[in-house]
Amino acid sequence: MSTKLFSPYVPRPVTLVEKTQLSDFVTRFTFEQDNGKPLAHKPGQFVNLSIYGIGEAPFSISSPPRRTKITFEIAVRRIGAVTSALHALEPGTKVGIRGPYGSSFPVMKFVGKDVLIVAGGLGYIPLRSLLFYQLRHRDEFGRIVLMVGTRDPKERIFVDEIAELAKSGEVEVMETVDMPDSTWKGNVGVITTLLPKVELDPANTFVAMVGPPIMYRFVIAECRKKGIASEQIFVSLERKMKCGLGKCGHCQINELNTCIDGPVFCYTDIEAYQEAI
Amino acid sequence: MTTYTVYKEQLPGLFEKWSKLYALHVPAKLREGFYDLVPWKRDLEIAWDYDVAYNSAKRFVMPPHEALISYDRRTCEAAPVFEAPKQILFGMHPYDVKALNQLDQLMEGGSPDQNYIRRREATVVMAFEPLTVSSAAFWASVGAASVAHGYDLYWTKISPASFMVEVGSVRGEELLLMNGALLSSTAGDKEGARRAKARILAKARKNSLRYNWEETPRLLAKCWDSPLWRRYSQMCLACGSCNTVCPTCYCFDIREESDDQLDTGVRYREWDGCMLESFAKVAGNHNFRPKAQDRYRHRYFRKGKYIYDKIGELGCVGCGRCVRACTAAIANPLKVFNELWEETAHEY
Repeated sequence: MSTKLFSPYVPRPVTLVEKTQLSDFVTRFTFEQDNGKPLAHKPGQFVNLSIYGIGEAPFSISSPPRRTKITFEIAVRRIGAVTSALHALEPGTKVGIRGPYGSSFPVMKFVGKDVLIVAGGLGYIPLRSLLFYQLRHRDEFGRIVLMVGTRDPKERIFVDEIAELAKSGEVEVMETVDMPDSTWKGNVGVITTLLPKVELDPANTFVAMVGPPIMYRFVIAECRKKGIASEQIFVSLERKMKCGLGKCGHCQINELNTCIDGPVFCYTDIEAYQEAI
Repeated sequence: MTTYTVYKEQLPGLFEKWSKLYALHVPAKLREGFYDLVPWKRDLEIAWDYDVAYNSAKRFVMPPHEALISYDRRTCEAAPVFEAPKQILFGMHPYDVKALNQLDQLMEGGSPDQNYIRRREATVVMAFEPLTVSSAAFWASVGAASVAHGYDLYWTKISPASFMVEVGSVRGEELLLMNGALLSSTAGDKEGARRAKARILAKARKNSLRYNWEETPRLLAKCWDSPLWRRYSQMCLACGSCNTVCPTCYCFDIREESDDQLDTGVRYREWDGCMLESFAKVAGNHNFRPKAQDRYRHRYFRKGKYIYDKIGELGCVGCGRCVRACTAAIANPLKVFNELWEETAHEY
């Protein structure tokens, strides 16, 4: 028997270096790896973050892969025990992480193609990793269209960043809110209402989408209406990923384990699964 | 195949020796019709004719509550916790060995679960050919009447006073010979073992699937929308008893407990069950299987299709424990699969 004490359940320490409030409930956290190495994740992957004494929970990585930087970002909505404890942390505090885990957006497939990024609600958080990865290698891609849908203007996150992107001309940005207030001058309606407003080359466009469970089937239907094939549509699905190792059973979608088979799936691969979308 | 013939009077001596090296568990009667594997002690009467141990053997390799890591909140350091008592499970029926083999595949595959592996490596399995069949069991019809591996020794009772013991591992043989040399089985002993197996198989076949068990995944593929799921699940109490007693259910939750100073603590896993209401619930209270029907169907699909698609065996070994444990009398894989078969019979 091996005497080396290895266990996939043991997190490694990272240090919180920055905290930025994005909305009433959502905060961005920047961590630095104590091991001095880059996280070496791919866009769409997640980490399991531990706050000892409270618990462990999975979070999508929001920053793009970085060759040299040893920091990475997540953005989190304060909603449960772990996320509340996380919001209470001050820079300098250490937490544990395991991962990166799971599948990722197939960036290489997108090379030379147009990419439509559909971000519903907090979906922008993981998609940001993909988007900024592409922007760092902007010349390798065709058009990048970003659709952002939020329930109401108060819940918009990364507002300045998205405005900058729109100004830069590198990304075609379309935004909508479901429930406008008096300050809102833009599109109104669920995110699906944005799709008819854009011309896409269906044979040449890949789609990456993340949003609330209800969103997928409607956005996928709109994409299909535009003639985009199932194999060009990629979704990231949320489930209760506890162990991150394909063992504990909580994140199953039929027979798939979201934590190792996903969270990013090609729509073709999950179309037949009743529990997926 | 190495086989030895062991006489009943040789057993106490062997048990005595083994129990000094291992925690030795043997089948015993707890009360009428109610059996379990219990720690061996001198003069304990072994229930050779037990039909099923009410608690499955998974607790020996994946205890209901098992520490995974210890942590120090102040330094943010964590270390693995491994506990792997040396143990002998004597008298396990082949369907339970089959279930254990299945756990081996699922826990060792992908990212190997070190906690499980260490416990499993420290566990000696001494299988025993059943003499009685539980009225709820149907293991003979789901491919679980025999196992080809996973045991260190396989005992078959061939006369009121003797056993034929097949050696499955060197570790097993060494244990068997701890009290001195044994006779190799004669052709007659081997014939006796063959007959004993045939006898029990005939009894076990009384409860059977009405089709070849290998058809189950194809059958289920057609039955997602069957009215059966609702018919049965509407009585489900979502208590998770079927999960708890199932020898192949291994889903777990991960939790932690701090010491009273809140500085150090232990993160542990605890058995969980897909029939429990909150099993697939995520932050923000979205539940991916909100209805009993969703959960009930998921469990049968897992047993009959998902596990099969992964490892080529049914996730149900036909032990019948869930049948006996279910208060609402709706947990019964044999009945469920057979009724689905009837429902779709016209399609064949």
